[in-house]
Amino acid sequence: MNTPIRSTLLVLALVAVAAASAWPAPAAANSGPVVRLFPTNVLEDIRATTQVAEAMENSLQDIIRRMDMQQQLYTESLCEGADGDQGCERIARQIGATYLQMLEVMSDRLPQMEASVASTRDSLERRLREELGLRTTPTSLQDSLVGQSPTIAAESQPALRGRSGVRLSDRFKQYQELVTTGRNGQSQSLAVVASDIYLDMADASLLIAATRQEIARTALMEQLNQSFGVITPEMAKVVGGVKQILFGEVVGDGPIAAPPNAIGEPDYVSPLAM
Amino acid sequence: MNALRMLLLLVAAHVLAGCAAEATDACRGQLGGTLDSAMVDAESRLANGCGYEFERYFGELLTIAEANPDRRNAQHFSEFLLRQTAAGTISRRTAEGLYNRYFNIKFVSLQGDYNTCSQTCPVRARVLSTMQTELKDKELGLLRVSNDPASFYRADHLYKEAELVLEATCRACEAGNGR
Repeated sequence: MNTPIRSTLLVLALVAVAAASAWPAPAAANSGPVVRLFPTNVLEDIRATTQVAEAMENSLQDIIRRMDMQQQLYTESLCEGADGDQGCERIARQIGATYLQMLEVMSDRLPQMEASVASTRDSLERRLREELGLRTTPTSLQDSLVGQSPTIAAESQPALRGRSGVRLSDRFKQYQELVTTGRNGQSQSLAVVASDIYLDMADASLLIAATRQEIARTALMEQLNQSFGVITPEMAKVVGGVKQILFGEVVGDGPIAAPPNAIGEPDYVSPLAM
Repeated sequence: MNALRMLLLLVAAHVLAGCAAEATDACRGQLGGTLDSAMVDAESRLANGCGYEFERYFGELLTIAEANPDRRNAQHFSEFLLRQTAAGTISRRTAEGLYNRYFNIKFVSLQGDYNTCSQTCPVRARVLSTMQTELKDKELGLLRVSNDPASFYRADHLYKEAELVLEATCRACEAGNGR
């Protein structure tokens, strides 16, 4: 995998880890296996991870914003293809230096982040295994998924994995709301929410580990580039990807909304129904 | 005398064979008309020795209903299946399986009495594949026959939720086994 993709994925992972910084303190738990998916220790793990991630996200946002301005200046100064222009070379070196700064921020915070994400993933993994894997049958699992209202407002549902295209922090805000309303028994199954967060955390762990391996090499390459004042296409891609993730608003397809049931016509319940 | 007896036997055999052929023909014909009349026809045939054609009749009834979608069709099918259970043509379990496969949001394919880690995870891909096939039957029963898109979309969403939850749960089960 090449550097820009890895870097972009890293930021994806990091923003994913910034899962809902204001997750509520656990309220009195309802009965039932699904609610026990989010006991106090899981929420505490997420909160701890969020504190680490928040600081990193803020640092990256500042750097990205600065890099964006530098890139704009570079473009407006018609520096593309202007070889030998000293002013352009100076701007290019500034962009490269900012880029290096971004890598340094990542590098400094990644070990702590990695440990925190792993802890959250492990605690969710334990809950999923115990509550859904060992204390639930396929029949009761399906019952718990069907249990909630069949007509949930589309905007209250998180897009399922691989379908969202939505900025990750927004997705986690949806999770936060769902955990809150789910505790009150009014919304989407917490089994779905827990599964989604767990799989995201598992992916984030892998990506952080992979990125840590690559970051030193990337930094070295950029230090070499600094000698020549080059803005590589890879750098531009990385910056574009990071911007999209942190500030972008790409909205993907949500689940298809269901039309309302016919008014005044009660649903038929067959004696054969499960 | 012997010749006469032989002739009578031949005639009797011919008549019996003709009756059997007639009965087979009566079973073979396609159902038609409205759903109600087709169900009456099917029930009459099933009561007269055509029980082996039950699956085909059920499929033809679905096709007829598909041409005339109505929210009440699910009820018609439920009552038809209950009558066939009472008549002894099919078992209660078969009736439940058919009704739920076509007219219920829930999946017959995702059932079991043992824990998810041990029962579903080892065969997760197969379970999901079977659910996918069942979803197509639900599309026929809920959407095209019963004109109930809300229930079909709920079933579709349930399939996606089950896919996600099983992926996470089975991964967690595997991680636990590895420790």
